[in-house]
Amino acid sequence: MRYIGQRLGFYLLAAWVALTLNFFLPRLMPGDPATALFARFRGRLNPEAMQALRETFGLTDASLLGQYWTYLRHAVRGDFGLSIAYFPSPVADVIGTALLWTIFLAGTAVVVSFVIGTLLGVAAAWWRRGWMDTWLPSILVFLGAFPYFWLAMLLLYVLGYSLGWFPLGHAYGDDLVPGLSVTFLADIVRHAALPIGTVVLVTLGGWMLSMRNTMIAVLGSDYVNLARAKGLSPSRVALRYAARNALLPSVTGFGMALGYVLGGSLLTEIVFSYPGQGYLLVQAVRNQDYPLMQGIFLVITLAVLGANLLVDILYLWLDPRTRESAS
Amino acid sequence: MSVRTAATLATILALVLPGASCVREQARPPAGVLVVSQEQQASWIRNFNPLTTAAAARWPTLAGIYEPLFVFNSVKSEYVPWLAVAHAWHEGNRVLRVTTRDGVLWSDGAPFTARDVAYTFNLLEEYPALDRRGVWGFLESVVATGENTVEFRFQRVFIPGFDELVGQPIVPEHIWREVPDPITFPNENPVATGPFTEVRAFRTQVFELGRNPRYWQEGRPRIEALRFPAYPGNDRANMALVFSEVDWAGNFVPAIDRVFVGRDPEHHRYWFPLTGSTIFLYANTTRAPFDDARVRKALSMAIDRELLVDIALYRYSRPADATALSDGYAAWRNAEIAAAGDWVRHDLARAATLLDEAGYRRGADGVRRLPDGSPWRPEILTVAGWSDWVRASQVIARGFGALGIEAAVRTYDFSAWFQRVQEGDFDLSLGWSFEGPTPYLFYRWLMASATVKPIGESSMGNWHRYASPAADSALAAFEQESALANQRRIADELQRIFVAEAPAIPLYPNPSWAEYNTSRFDGFPSREQPYADPSPNKFDRGECLLVLTSVTPR
Repeated sequence: MRYIGQRLGFYLLAAWVALTLNFFLPRLMPGDPATALFARFRGRLNPEAMQALRETFGLTDASLLGQYWTYLRHAVRGDFGLSIAYFPSPVADVIGTALLWTIFLAGTAVVVSFVIGTLLGVAAAWWRRGWMDTWLPSILVFLGAFPYFWLAMLLLYVLGYSLGWFPLGHAYGDDLVPGLSVTFLADIVRHAALPIGTVVLVTLGGWMLSMRNTMIAVLGSDYVNLARAKGLSPSRVALRYAARNALLPSVTGFGMALGYVLGGSLLTEIVFSYPGQGYLLVQAVRNQDYPLMQGIFLVITLAVLGANLLVDILYLWLDPRTRESAS
Repeated sequence: MSVRTAATLATILALVLPGASCVREQARPPAGVLVVSQEQQASWIRNFNPLTTAAAARWPTLAGIYEPLFVFNSVKSEYVPWLAVAHAWHEGNRVLRVTTRDGVLWSDGAPFTARDVAYTFNLLEEYPALDRRGVWGFLESVVATGENTVEFRFQRVFIPGFDELVGQPIVPEHIWREVPDPITFPNENPVATGPFTEVRAFRTQVFELGRNPRYWQEGRPRIEALRFPAYPGNDRANMALVFSEVDWAGNFVPAIDRVFVGRDPEHHRYWFPLTGSTIFLYANTTRAPFDDARVRKALSMAIDRELLVDIALYRYSRPADATALSDGYAAWRNAEIAAAGDWVRHDLARAATLLDEAGYRRGADGVRRLPDGSPWRPEILTVAGWSDWVRASQVIARGFGALGIEAAVRTYDFSAWFQRVQEGDFDLSLGWSFEGPTPYLFYRWLMASATVKPIGESSMGNWHRYASPAADSALAAFEQESALANQRRIADELQRIFVAEAPAIPLYPNPSWAEYNTSRFDGFPSREQPYADPSPNKFDRGECLLVLTSVTPR
């Protein structure tokens, strides 16, 4: 318990640091939201409009420190104000339209990739020098080495446009009204298949290799030999003895990957026109939309911290040694 | 264990297979529904407020849902009466009287009157944040003097104010007077006079606008509804265009004849009239030697503009002439004056003579020397990622190199670039210019003293900081003149001043991007039928209304 308490304290500190950086970093960029908007019109907006833009966005000349305090107070209440790029929608609403889709798409992709990759790694290490061990890692690593954007575009072109097996984008059909029906859910799965598939394809190799390598090291250790000597069933030795210990480094990686889900799905979302928040972040940066940037960064930060907390707890369960040292 | 892997794989496949086994859905929307791609977004936010900052409201809020008093046709350079039918100047051009159209209904059935117009303008005065054209900088009062007449009283005589007033989208008084804060009002169910007012569906990735059942133009619009799929980014939007998922778009498409037209030459059409803003090479006139007109003209003559539009713009544009006016000002451009401006012609020999005369001679190493004896190595600023500008800068730098000027192209991230340009912290930079119905705004922000800000202070235009006393008096005269013939005479004078003084170096007029698919709809503006600018991006002076009310389902 004290262990978890300590970790929580650390996470609170980390959250405050992140909040502070979220505030100051965007403001270090040259320019301000009004000029960014003005510039986007490239000559179609009368220069007299600038004053109106500044008024609209409530750009004040208050001291940065004063603004910082207001920001912290509002952030604690979860109030991030109005987005500038999507004026006058509140930041929470804007993020709300995208967050669930991103969590669903990228979250599923990470989990699927981790589970399959890890199982493949276990299998490859157990049946060493079998076909799975010789060929699969090379193929997967080869695929993973492609630039994701390129691979995704290629698959979309071949499987979507040319063969017509998959929809060309969006989270569900344009003519479908969202609701809790089988058709709608099936449509979501159908639309997510290709985006998730491409992510899994390029990330599978990493999980498999890392699991396979640790597993091979673990398989050579004394306690595994002992387990074998005791005559335990091969599946028990493989899963309960070897895999459980070999999983530890992968779990750390998994936690980090989960945390990056919210920030890292930008390319998938752009290629497959998925309504996620990766693109929102790009829009926010492009428009110097401080409130939206702060909101998205906070969500990402919380996701990373939350994932890490989850890993910490998972470690307690997986590795008795952490429990020992914690108590 | 391998059994478990197989089981997991089987589950995954079971999830994926319904997608794989099914034949590709027909992406075509119902007949009469025009699919448009103008904004690039990953998801839609429901906002149809025509008064807040333009970028936040969904297209076509400004010209499609709501309507202005007059629509400006930039291809024909003329105003088309829209919610207004006539206007006249009175009391020595201090008062503008506008007659509004009779028989127009708001989409909820209430009649549109001159009072709605007066209300809209008075709302802008009450909330300066809504006044995006700055009309209360010259207005004194706006009053409805009858059911169908509005009187705009000016603080001073300012004829170009007309252009700013008549483009304002008009909102209904009976709805907006109940709105507590018009700035943050998302206006989710618009009540308007335009051809498309009914929000038929609004979801994160697609929305649809149905036609206004009470539209004032008999039998129009002929389109049943507009549909807007959300595409993040240009690549995805272009793909949708190429694969006929979109009927009308305003994107930049590289090598369009091959990529887009080549796929279906009969139906995939485009027309890029050169009505966009003219792109300039701005020389900072507060820094020697760019304060010398001979130097600016010599630099201009060193640029091979034919090569530049070829390399930077796929030949979508033409070299600019010395008046710098785009085809949006075709009615104003004086061909004789343009022909007299020979400093936009590629002529290295004359450029070299001019520079030698001005005292910037080549040193022993071939590089020209500044008066203090140091080699002349100016920087050309451009924006990272704007590939047309980057390529243009390289062509320019090569031209300068041939003249003995070692120019270096510096690409900056957009905001960093814009800050330097606005504060006047540059030698040479690419940049856009301003558009408007008359050349007044355009030339004002190129050479009026009133637009010059000191170095270090952020300026919205006239980044090269050039002041011409001759232009000042011509612009002042233009502000007083309401007769078209006299306006033209003054516009000629402005062109003559620009050609003589070369305040900035024009490169090419920007095309207005417009692609359309004629397999389901007909009646888009084209080179053969140039009735308006074909681009959906021309919404700020109402021009897309001309297209939206003309396009017809096949």
